[in-house]
Amino acid sequence: MAVQTQVQPNQHLLERAGYFPVSGAHLYSVLHEVKNPVARVLLVGPFASERHNSFLPWVRWARYLAEGDIEVLRYDYRGIGESTGAFEQMTFADWRQDVRLLSAWLAARSLLVPLVLHGLGLGAVLAGDAFDQGIGEGLLLWAPPKNANQALRATLMRWVGLEQIFKFGDDRKSASDYIRELERGSSLEVDGYRWSAELWRESSGFALPAALESEESAASAYQRPVKIVRLTSDAAPLVKGGLVGYDDLKDFSWLYAPNREWIAAIALQCSTGVAHA
Amino acid sequence: MHNAIENRELIVLDGLGIRIQGTYHAPPSVLSHVPLGQRSLGRTGVLFLNSLSLPRAASGDSAVHWADSIAEHGYPSFRIDLPGLGDSGGSASTDLLNFINSGGFAPVAAAAAKELVDRFGLSGLVIFGHCAGSVSALYAAAAGREASGLILLDPYFHLPQARRPKVRQELSDWARRSKVGRLLSNTYDWAKNLLLLLRGSALPGNANSQLLAGWKQVAAGGLPILLLKAPGIKAHGFRPRVGEFDYTGHALKLAGRKSRVSVEFVEGADHSFANYGGREPVQRHIEDWLVSHFPLEDFNRNAKRAAPLRAGEKQSDSRKSPTAPANLGCALKGR
Repeated sequence: MAVQTQVQPNQHLLERAGYFPVSGAHLYSVLHEVKNPVARVLLVGPFASERHNSFLPWVRWARYLAEGDIEVLRYDYRGIGESTGAFEQMTFADWRQDVRLLSAWLAARSLLVPLVLHGLGLGAVLAGDAFDQGIGEGLLLWAPPKNANQALRATLMRWVGLEQIFKFGDDRKSASDYIRELERGSSLEVDGYRWSAELWRESSGFALPAALESEESAASAYQRPVKIVRLTSDAAPLVKGGLVGYDDLKDFSWLYAPNREWIAAIALQCSTGVAHA
Repeated sequence: MHNAIENRELIVLDGLGIRIQGTYHAPPSVLSHVPLGQRSLGRTGVLFLNSLSLPRAASGDSAVHWADSIAEHGYPSFRIDLPGLGDSGGSASTDLLNFINSGGFAPVAAAAAKELVDRFGLSGLVIFGHCAGSVSALYAAAAGREASGLILLDPYFHLPQARRPKVRQELSDWARRSKVGRLLSNTYDWAKNLLLLLRGSALPGNANSQLLAGWKQVAAGGLPILLLKAPGIKAHGFRPRVGEFDYTGHALKLAGRKSRVSVEFVEGADHSFANYGGREPVQRHIEDWLVSHFPLEDFNRNAKRAAPLRAGEKQSDSRKSPTAPANLGCALKGR
């Protein structure tokens, strides 16, 4: 049916969508189920509108991992996408809890294979936070911001760029104008999501753990494997930039392949460790 | 993990051999023991298709909001990911826009509509599409027999360029920023308008003739259609920007006097209709239109009847277009 196609995903791999109950809401999740997996990965994806922009490469990444015998669980944050709950009522505490609950569920499927947390953008801060609390045998971060506020700013910048297409002269507001509004206590609607002043304020205080500043500092702090990948504009729309309908369809195998190898290496390391034990 | 919650259920369709993931929003039932799937028997449903490559939740989760609301008013709603998009199987074309504009999704969307009608015992199905999704919805309605209506948000009847040259983008940006630029932009528009007048009623070279033929088939055939428009760049209400061909007017002429096309202008919307100034009016327009064209016997709601704008009637421009806000997440923005 398609005019041009990319690498065909294996149609025989089972993908199970479901709702995971949490306090006052249900998290939409998709399990890319694998028979006898070598590892399990919880994907902590990008935030709010960034979910939509990067959806296709994110799903393809999950499928790519599953094809390599790595079981994957991806999900939507509470109040976003297919998950239920009112976005404007959610806090970082809720989204931190989502990671804890889902990683516990995924890890419990089998204690014999390692659990890796993988976060992108704001999801990297959430994954890093959970890892810092002792969750997971490995951590993979793509484009981690210093804190949640930095991720929100990137989203805001993208939105302002689009907003300005339709505005002329003095009607055009800069990102600083909108930031001032948030800092004054007003809420702001960004890409169809109402950001509260509280969300903005809280985001500055929700930072990536200091030990995750570099792979070296992480290695000495955690004694567990950590990989940090700084993405450039080539990786759009996984990072700011790119056009929906074009850049989300491009080939990302240059990014997927080495990262899957890294996860597989953790699996190998763990299985060797188990064998020795 | 649960497959269903409250009024929602995750469904999988066989889209011509490709696994299609979707979400079913069930109407409420006075009898709590009635399974979600049986609550739709004999009702008219609404099927949401993807807008370009966006997942089925759509920009700002607007499709989730509309589907919930429509179901709450008694109309079962279904949101699906077409093959290669969202959570569905298959691979998307890397030339997605042209694929959609040539009706590439029509067979699978029509097949999915038929499967939903059969599976849920629906009396009919209205197909909903936004932007590129409206193109797929229109083609699907023309290709199958299942569509009992269409809801089209900002449909386009031309073949847009895949990517605008960078120089042109920068020039447009400069024109928006500077007064001189704006003046030059207006002069350019008027020059284009002169050429447009000289060409008379001839269609522009980039018209999507195949889509217009599909439109004529379904609209002139009397299919109820709700067409919602958001303010465009430098547009004046329903009327397009100076120098641009009036495709909506042309489509209404093609539809003919016996058509059942309703056109509404959503003043506060951006092109995504996901902003709060867009999503609430859209919700009201859809509910009123559904009640007007597909009344429910067991639902008592005082809804305003949508006044259809028929071919030949003058479009009301009384609601002036404000400075149009942003088009969110759509590759066609600014064209």
